[in-house]
Amino acid sequence: MDELIYKLKQQIIEALNLEDMKPEDIDDNASLFGEGLGLDSIDALELIVMMEKNYGIKLQDPAQGKEIFKSVAVMADFIAKNRTK
Amino acid sequence: MAIPILITGCGVVSAIGRNKAETLDALLNNRSGVGPLVYLKTEHKEFPVGEVKMSDEEMRKHLNINDKAITTRTALMGMMALDEALKDACLTPDMLPEVGFISGTTVGGMDMSEQFYLDYVNNEKHKEYIAVHDCGSCSEMTAEHFGSFAFITTLSTACSSAANAIILGANMLRRGEANIVVVGGSECITKFHLNGFNSLMILDTKPCRPFDATRAGLNLGEGAAYLVLETEESAKRRGVKAQAILSGYGNACDAFHQTASSPDGEGAYRAMKEALELADIQPDEIDYINAHGTGTPNNDLSESHAVMRLFGDNIPPMSSTKPFTGHTTSASGSIEAVFCILALQHGFVPANLNWSQPMDDGIAPVYQSVKKELKHVLCNAFGFGGNDSSLLISRVAEPVSEPVKGGEGIVPSISASTSPATIYVLSAQQISIQQPLCEDWMTKPVEYQTSFNRSIDPSFKEYVSPIEARRMGKILKRALATSKEAIKASGLESIDAIITGTGYGCIENTEVFLNALSKEGEQMLSPTSFMQSTHNTISSLVAIQLKNHGYNVTYAHKGISFDSAVQDAMLQMQLGKINSALVGGHDEMTETFYNILKKGSVMGQDEEMCGEAAMSVVLSTEKRDSLCKLVNFKMLHKPSMDTLKAVAKDFQADYVLTGISGNHKSDEAYLNECKDLFGNSILLKYKHLFGESFTSSGIGMYVAAHCLKAGNIPAHLFVNKDETKGKKPHKILIFNHTDGNNYSLTLLEA
Repeated sequence: MDELIYKLKQQIIEALNLEDMKPEDIDDNASLFGEGLGLDSIDALELIVMMEKNYGIKLQDPAQGKEIFKSVAVMADFIAKNRTK
Repeated sequence: MAIPILITGCGVVSAIGRNKAETLDALLNNRSGVGPLVYLKTEHKEFPVGEVKMSDEEMRKHLNINDKAITTRTALMGMMALDEALKDACLTPDMLPEVGFISGTTVGGMDMSEQFYLDYVNNEKHKEYIAVHDCGSCSEMTAEHFGSFAFITTLSTACSSAANAIILGANMLRRGEANIVVVGGSECITKFHLNGFNSLMILDTKPCRPFDATRAGLNLGEGAAYLVLETEESAKRRGVKAQAILSGYGNACDAFHQTASSPDGEGAYRAMKEALELADIQPDEIDYINAHGTGTPNNDLSESHAVMRLFGDNIPPMSSTKPFTGHTTSASGSIEAVFCILALQHGFVPANLNWSQPMDDGIAPVYQSVKKELKHVLCNAFGFGGNDSSLLISRVAEPVSEPVKGGEGIVPSISASTSPATIYVLSAQQISIQQPLCEDWMTKPVEYQTSFNRSIDPSFKEYVSPIEARRMGKILKRALATSKEAIKASGLESIDAIITGTGYGCIENTEVFLNALSKEGEQMLSPTSFMQSTHNTISSLVAIQLKNHGYNVTYAHKGISFDSAVQDAMLQMQLGKINSALVGGHDEMTETFYNILKKGSVMGQDEEMCGEAAMSVVLSTEKRDSLCKLVNFKMLHKPSMDTLKAVAKDFQADYVLTGISGNHKSDEAYLNECKDLFGNSILLKYKHLFGESFTSSGIGMYVAAHCLKAGNIPAHLFVNKDETKGKKPHKILIFNHTDGNNYSLTLLEA
């Protein structure tokens, strides 16, 4: 799981073009949206594309993202359970 | 309102009809034009769309355009609507040299670019279409099919483009800059924005249901519509009747988010309120609102809140006509304005089709067409970036004037503009490759060299945090930096309006999206590169950063994009609507697009010109510690030499800042033209230091303004080295003739 979490952080940084940020800077359990990293709805859409590209998971409803993208830990858990590649 | 703005003709093309008669019939009979995809070649057959029911070939035939002529679907639809509008207003080709043309589009020639992109990059095939990629070319093609208009410009504020074209036209009539203007917009569906909207997950796979509890997104549509706006005096003289009156209009910026509307609909609320105030009409006098109502959960909730704030418990009958046509994006403002004119003339409220369940906390629309006398209607058009506009259209109560048979013809008007309000250039800032954010070029000139390596750009950390920068291309960072520096130097605490000119807009992201679309197909595309590819991203981003809800528009018309922005700022000041404006000229270039545009003979015929400019000025009616005064301005489209000479007389100056680079093949012809027009002036150049771009006239204003402030012109700016011991500059004319067809003259005074 730790390996997936680290990789996921790298992928998030790349997908969202978070300049000057390293995987170590992102807390596993901190909120990605709102008060945490301060991401917004467009970032959520980018994460949906990222999950489809890298893990073969297709979300139909952007609203699902609200739960899944709560934190990197939650996201990794969802990916581990649902990945098709 | 100072003078009534008459609508003396209109024309419309959309999914529900090729003209007004077919459109009216469909509206009265609740007949939607939304259905399965037929004409656009895309994998996304799952989305219903509102296509115009004609192929490009059928439109060419209808318009008598031969198969070989270079054109685009947006231009073809525009021509069909313009044809009807001109006939409807009894305007013949011989009258057009006294008539202005203002059009709105965002897509421009993207339907061709997305088909041929890989050819543009890799070989010589289809290179003749490269020159019609941009928005301005699209407007010129549309207009020139009918004759030679006095001036042409293009607004690009995403889905409110056509509404803002109407507003600019009305302001020009009110200021006496024209007696007749043809205004509106055109936009075809492209794979580019179908996929873009899909990446934003706002397309519905079912017919759209605006204001319904189950709404799940929009259906894309396409079409065009143009309105002929005319002064009362001109209509009287020509013996034409008003079909409706444009009694008010408002433009405001939501300044909330690039693609989402604010929960309370601040921009929408302000735009509608401003329209009512301009018309001096109370909310309870509004009989119908044609909503923007796209069918996305976000828009309909936000728009509902804005309407509820403004109208309280007395919400007028309201409907979205997008279930009829799909969302016609940049053209929606003028298409729906024509629907409103038809509704006023024939006394009915069009239905909000497909509605059945009320949404929580929103308005309930009129879901069946209702017969009703209408006097005043509001027509909303909102765009990405929060570019929100609202038009107030009124029925002609009594004939405004009895038409005079065999009128005296068109009033020869469009005179050189003179301004009653003194306008000051408070500050000017620019970033270019060799001359970063300072005035060093005055003492330490560095010759321009093409470079796509951006290491020379400042780090921008001073202007934008890393998290904010995550989706900004270089054009956006430069725009923010120059805007913030210009505002700081102006000493103003707040700015009333933000107006931007850009020839090609956000090329970097356009390229990323086109590339992915062409090479990887129509799946898993990045929403960021799409939403940051629209021209109005620049102006709206600056507004979001500055939390500025004021007037906000973007011009995208070739070499006069910045000049169009200046003209609008002057108009707004002369009409007393604003006291200050941040006006920007921004263009960026990538190596790939540079090579494409070179192949298409659009630019880059000389190696040293790479097409980038980033500059901002603050204009104000308040003197303060200003750089200079902006005393006269004029834009012309393909003028005759006589017209040009007559105009040049009003712009005599001791110095003329020309677009000569020093190495350009066309320098000699340009030089001769300048000598011919301004024989007594000393000629200056600046592009050898700053490069050339579609918005380099903005850099010209920056250079001239700083020379006037310094009271000195550096020797390296003189075309003729013998003249360097010239006199202290008092007046500098910026003479812009960059793209062959368009001219602008801007006169600055110390």
